[in-house]
Amino acid sequence: MFVLIAGGGRTASELGRFLVDQKHEAHLIEDRPEVLARLHRELPTEAIHVGSAIDAVLLEHAGIRKCDVLAACLPRDADNLALCYLARSRFAVPRTIACINNPYNAWLFDEAFHVDVALNQSSILATLIQEEMSLGDMMTLLKLRRGKFSFVEEKIPAGAPAVGRRISELPLPRNCVIAAVIRRGEIEIPRGDLALQEDDEVLAIVEAQAASELARLFS
Amino acid sequence: MYAVIVGCGQLGAELASRLYRAGHEVAIVDQTPAAFQTLDPAFRGRIVEGDVLSQDVQRRAEFQRADAVAAVTNVDTVNAVIAHVARMRYRVDKVVARNYDPRILTLHETFGHTVVASTVWGARNFEELLSRPAGGAAQPLFVTPDGSVAVHAVGIPAGWDGRPLEQLLAGLEVSAVSLTRGARSLLPAAGAPLATGDIVHLSATRTGIEALRGRLAERSASCSS
Repeated sequence: MFVLIAGGGRTASELGRFLVDQKHEAHLIEDRPEVLARLHRELPTEAIHVGSAIDAVLLEHAGIRKCDVLAACLPRDADNLALCYLARSRFAVPRTIACINNPYNAWLFDEAFHVDVALNQSSILATLIQEEMSLGDMMTLLKLRRGKFSFVEEKIPAGAPAVGRRISELPLPRNCVIAAVIRRGEIEIPRGDLALQEDDEVLAIVEAQAASELARLFS
Repeated sequence: MYAVIVGCGQLGAELASRLYRAGHEVAIVDQTPAAFQTLDPAFRGRIVEGDVLSQDVQRRAEFQRADAVAAVTNVDTVNAVIAHVARMRYRVDKVVARNYDPRILTLHETFGHTVVASTVWGARNFEELLSRPAGGAAQPLFVTPDGSVAVHAVGIPAGWDGRPLEQLLAGLEVSAVSLTRGARSLLPAAGAPLATGDIVHLSATRTGIEALRGRLAERSASCSS
């Protein structure tokens, strides 16, 4: 996969390194000298393009015509919007992902600017913090479909309603499935006849609204 | 007309004041409160402070009933995004974006915006004034918004007397607009013979007008020698 990343801030460079580690091709565009100094320590020089990410000439030079995904991670929302529009209209980039810096601007990040996926960093963090506060010991391992579903982990304490009950008997919320049970370090396949025990770790995929209902069963 | 001006720099403030004086209803938007000090004290239009990308600020500036929106900040992407929102979301009739950084002109072209390339336009005017030949043609009468084409008035020297207009223009990036002889002007035919002292109005690119001036000077020189 060829990914073009606009901006070299913390999120962008983390993404760049992550992709390079996974043997993808990632190229990054940045124009702030102080940021470039750091980038050169973190990424191979040939992956860094110096200049404005809104400049069509530089975009072509950085390979926008052959990129599979554009990640717009610039610190100004107008730049990210304009870039996604430019990428699709002028260079037919198949997939655009944009970061939202100011949550008040989130409403603009849609198909009108050819933004396929918009990630609202502050609201994602705020939601995660809120969940950690309300769900007690349940840990969110992964967010799927922009937070619509979560992959969660919960250790069953003594006296929880689920202890001693078979999975088939559990009043699981709709839109929830148990993916695995970890018992004394070993994975148990969660068939309906598996009875849960104290200290089992349950891994489940659950829709956001049902997460607290699930948490009650295991606490 | 209700016009929303986005960006209260020197250009935005001047535009807002002019539209206001011309009797239009005007709102001006900027996120820096100090920016409004640039406004003419006689300006009584609406002043909206805030980030123009936010829906709330657009509501307060009443984009939904605007007849015209001018995005004239010194950030090209903000101008391009606001112009796009004005056209697509609010269906505003007249929308014009300012191109500030000439390297970013492509962005506005991609959006299909009507653009005033203020930097290029200004530089072009300076260039014309600085490089005009002594006693030669004065500054252009009109320059297109993107600064690429301008209309000039050119006097015909004795060396071209009796020669056809098409010979003067052949092969150059120049089109004739009108020919003035004495008190009368007309739309010139290509074969029309020129006369000493004619004033020809031309629209031309920068290279076109330079080549044309060279051609005029050449013949007057060879004629006088």
